Amino acid sequence: MDNKIGVFVCHCGINIASTVNVKDLVDYAKTLDGVAVSKDYKYMCSDVGANLIKDSIKKNKLDGVVIACCSPRMHEHTFRGVVEAGGINAFNLEIANIREQCSWVHEDKYRATEKAKALVCGAVAKAKLLEPLEPSKIKVNPTALVIGGGIAGIQSALDLAEEGHKVYLVEKSPTIGGRMAQLDKTFPTLDCSSCILTPKMMEVANHSNVELLTYSEVTGVEGSIGNYTVKVNKKARYVDLDKCTGCGDCVEACRLKGRIISEFDEGLGKRSAVYIPFPQAVPLKCTIDKDTCLMLTRGKCGTGPLCVEACDAGAIDFKQKDEEVELNVGAIVVATGYDVLDPSAMHEYGYGRSDDVITTLGMERLINSSGPTSGEILRPSNGEKPKSITYILCVGSRDETECTWCCRIGCMSALKHVYLLKEKLGDDVEINVCYTDIRSFGKGYEEFYRKIRGMKTNFFRGRPSEVRNAGDHMTIDIFDTTTNKLFEIKTDLVVLVPALVPRADSDEFARILRISQSADGFYLEAHPKLRPMDTFTGGTFIAGCCQGPKDIQDSVAQASGAAARAANILSKKELESEPLISCVDEDLCSGCSTCIAICPYNAIELDTEKDGKSHAKVNEALCMGCGACVVSCPSGAMQQKGFKDKQIKPMIEETVKK
Amino acid sequence: MSITDLTSMGEPQTEQRKEINERLRRLQDEISDYCYQCAKCTSGCEAHKLLELEPHKIVALLKRGLIDEMINSEIIWTCMSCFKCRERCPQKVAPVEILFALKNLAVASGKQIPGNYTAMLQSVLSIGLLQDVKSITTKDNKTKTRTDLGLPEISKPADPTKFQMMLSKIAVEKV
Amino acid sequence: MKYALYPGCVMPTEQYAYEMSIREVMPKLDVELVDLKGFSCCGEPIKSVNQMLTLTLSARNLAIAEKEGLDIFAPCPICHLALSECKRILDADPAMNERVNKFLEDEGLKYSGTSDIVSTIDLIHDKIGIEKIKKLVKKPLKDLKVATHNGCHLIRPSEIGRPDDSENPQKMDKILKAVGANPLDYPEKLDCCGGLLTANLPEAALTKTGQKLKGVQDQGFDAFIDTCPWCHRQYDSKQTKAGETVAAKLDVPVLYLTQILGLSFGISKDKLGLDLNLSPVEKLAVVGGK
Ligand code: SF4
Ligand code: SF4
Ligand code: SF4
Ligand code: SF4
Repeated sequence: MDNKIGVFVCHCGINIASTVNVKDLVDYAKTLDGVAVSKDYKYMCSDVGANLIKDSIKKNKLDGVVIACCSPRMHEHTFRGVVEAGGINAFNLEIANIREQCSWVHEDKYRATEKAKALVCGAVAKAKLLEPLEPSKIKVNPTALVIGGGIAGIQSALDLAEEGHKVYLVEKSPTIGGRMAQLDKTFPTLDCSSCILTPKMMEVANHSNVELLTYSEVTGVEGSIGNYTVKVNKKARYVDLDKCTGCGDCVEACRLKGRIISEFDEGLGKRSAVYIPFPQAVPLKCTIDKDTCLMLTRGKCGTGPLCVEACDAGAIDFKQKDEEVELNVGAIVVATGYDVLDPSAMHEYGYGRSDDVITTLGMERLINSSGPTSGEILRPSNGEKPKSITYILCVGSRDETECTWCCRIGCMSALKHVYLLKEKLGDDVEINVCYTDIRSFGKGYEEFYRKIRGMKTNFFRGRPSEVRNAGDHMTIDIFDTTTNKLFEIKTDLVVLVPALVPRADSDEFARILRISQSADGFYLEAHPKLRPMDTFTGGTFIAGCCQGPKDIQDSVAQASGAAARAANILSKKELESEPLISCVDEDLCSGCSTCIAICPYNAIELDTEKDGKSHAKVNEALCMGCGACVVSCPSGAMQQKGFKDKQIKPMIEETVKK
Repeated sequence: MSITDLTSMGEPQTEQRKEINERLRRLQDEISDYCYQCAKCTSGCEAHKLLELEPHKIVALLKRGLIDEMINSEIIWTCMSCFKCRERCPQKVAPVEILFALKNLAVASGKQIPGNYTAMLQSVLSIGLLQDVKSITTKDNKTKTRTDLGLPEISKPADPTKFQMMLSKIAVEKV
Repeated sequence: MKYALYPGCVMPTEQYAYEMSIREVMPKLDVELVDLKGFSCCGEPIKSVNQMLTLTLSARNLAIAEKEGLDIFAPCPICHLALSECKRILDADPAMNERVNKFLEDEGLKYSGTSDIVSTIDLIHDKIGIEKIKKLVKKPLKDLKVATHNGCHLIRPSEIGRPDDSENPQKMDKILKAVGANPLDYPEKLDCCGGLLTANLPEAALTKTGQKLKGVQDQGFDAFIDTCPWCHRQYDSKQTKAGETVAAKLDVPVLYLTQILGLSFGISKDKLGLDLNLSPVEKLAVVGGK
């Protein structure tokens, strides 16, 4: 016996009703075979609408419901609850999307109404054949993994740890702290960056619920929401973490001292082959850089490795190997941060052609008292104090040939630099800022911009076309649209404000994590407004600049949000999984294993029976319901619950017939 | 309703603006509307310092539809086609190509063609080349022809009449 | 290697030194040149008047080469740009292609996009290759400090696909390094010669020329090397006048790339048309050593 169906048509205010003739549609539905009742209401998703459905189910003893309304992505979940409250199985519900797929995209009222009828007719055909489904339960591992030890990752890890969850915090570089550790002060409050960051770094490192894995990389992720298995490669530091006291004697002794370009100082400073990135590093331990260390690249360091000699603790260990560990977690927060566009991509601005063209991050290091110049502002070319410093904003940002997006921090960091430079150098230094628009949209930002405007700064509203070397200085021609004049700036230090770009390895990492990217390469949120920390992969969340350029404020807010979203899952003992997964008709299955190879989630195994016959078996906890196996099965044995051939075929037939 | 430029009482010429944009879209893929007036083009314009051409303003005027103002001005003829503006525009707008379109429009609407262009055009029409073969003077004041220098005679269009017919047909064409 | 030599207007009507040096050097590099019959102007210099004319004239020349079944070698960067842009537009826009072919019909020509276009730079650097150049050097240009000038049309707009990088062109420098010279970067490297303004603002054109060349002279370069007949006319033929516009006495030897290559290959300066250069090329040891 087919299900007895009720059809409920929503007006969605005028969203649907202004294009589709609802009255006509309701009357039409009444004529369909198997439909016992057909009604409409202005907002079916309201309480009144819900009650209308519930009452009709009871009164008409319905077994199935069709709701003609907006996309199932909007309200399917809501209506499942309603149907269940009405006393029938939540999955005996079919949505006919007559908004996104009909009223919003058509103008001709008559034809839109006819199309809506076809959609309803098909939905009824399917609803008559739906079977009750029960969600299966998945046990949740209450442990979390946070990838990335910058400010976003630290915040997420701390929030989760405070909620009582065990957290693995995995960081690729030798220390946590991320980009924020490179900054001197933060806008607009001018807090000292390390003064507010270091306590957080210590707190997360010392938290009893947090296990820190620095100099480690996630290399594989398997499983799904509630139960992930994650492979992490702990790279060899060639220093025994337990023995190293962080005294830095080896750093001083290293034969290559002052010869290796320091990435932390943005290439403006030098370090040894064995190094601690910065004085507040956590953990405060040495790392030997295997790409430059003489022992590790040539097998020989002069007459013997000086670091070994210098280390009283005997911590140096050239035999150390990379180590693979496996973590079992229930949820993942991705906070892998950003890269800065290499401005040599825009050759006209002279980066790489002159040492005196640097980036904003480079200037941060010059300003910082633990930076390569101990906080003195000196020109990299000759170590002299600059008399004129010129900022060029939007380098590669808002640019159709490089990065189409706004970096969202460039304007404010340049303004902040103006303040700090004036503080350090007084009015002896001339500061020029070439901007296209100053974007000072955050709380307190516009006020900060006003303050800087009062600080004897030359703002040029325009964009230079190029930076030219002119002997001991550089010249920049800039057309200023506020005065309608072309100016020539003679300057001796140029600071480029480059675009923020996705991490170099973000494509590959997205594949490992099975999350999506937006067109710009940043990780894609499930909904830009309503689910900004979720990905389309259940149990995996994103925070900070890996999702798109952000300031510290927004990164921290998003990180706490992502932690809360993850805790939502981790705090449950078990999760109900969507029952819309695949299932095997064992009689039809030939055991050919096609589906096993196809399944991206490794959810299918081959089960061998006593008589030697084998057939596919679906692991309900792993199946994501993607349907790949269903279409691949040559015998038609693999079916998707809620979308079985016998349910879908009549739906298609009826829709097309109409 | 309407928009009027009160300095000249000029009004936007929407149709012509559309025509230019369509031409740009067809030939250069991009239109002027995306320009956000960063003035990078003018900062680097080879003609700006010398002749006061402001490519960003050309783009702005086009966006506003004030086309007559431009085709009546000598300024559009100061561009040296160095292509720096097109090369470096962050929005892939090509002021140089807008200038070509405006100059074409000026010519098509019967405005006087400045300088040598008419002579060049006539030469192309009659012999296929901008100028005829010249004999030249060496540093020590000797006159030399192609033949003197051992260069072969150059080959001009085989049937000049057909060639000229074709060109005069195009001369009245728009892109 | 075999190419149809498309001379354009300026080279075969007055810049004979370029043509002579090309006809000398190319065979040495195993490039066979076939003279293109019945060619005409590429149309670029009159693009300001009517771009449809430019497109059709370019297509016409390409069509003639297609008939011969040959790729085109266009030594003039302005021609090279016109032909490349024409190819790019017509290959992407069948309607436009058809329109242009309607005009070409009268002369029995048809553009179908089968011929490629090379310039002096990519022909030498990409097709012939630096190694071959190195092998031919007989008189290395030891320590000759040279400034290279590509010409705007050779490197811009990159959207059309140009023979070298628009912001950091290095191919000409590499070719010159191969013959022992020492090409150095200079701030004015990408600047325009002004040449195309000659039609209506010849004074301004000369000022552009003068400004760039003065920069080169002030930086102590021994020679200035180019590949564009328009630029060369400005820098070499009109050097004295250009100097006057910037109140400088200019004294910079200006040579075509093919001339300096020829010299290093040991070809005699007469064959390379060096007595046609009006700039003080005799200052250079390779030229002056009579
Ligand atoms: S082995 Fe030599 S190069 Fe390597 S870290 Fe020790 S001292 Fe430095
Ligand atoms: S934040 Fe400022 S500097 Fe950065 S892209 Fe946006 S407008 Fe440009
Ligand atoms: S045309 Fe391009 S470079 Fe010029 S102002 Fe507009 S956006 Fe800037
Ligand atoms: S092409 Fe013309 S408008 Fe553009 S930068 Fe050069 S001279 Fe200026």
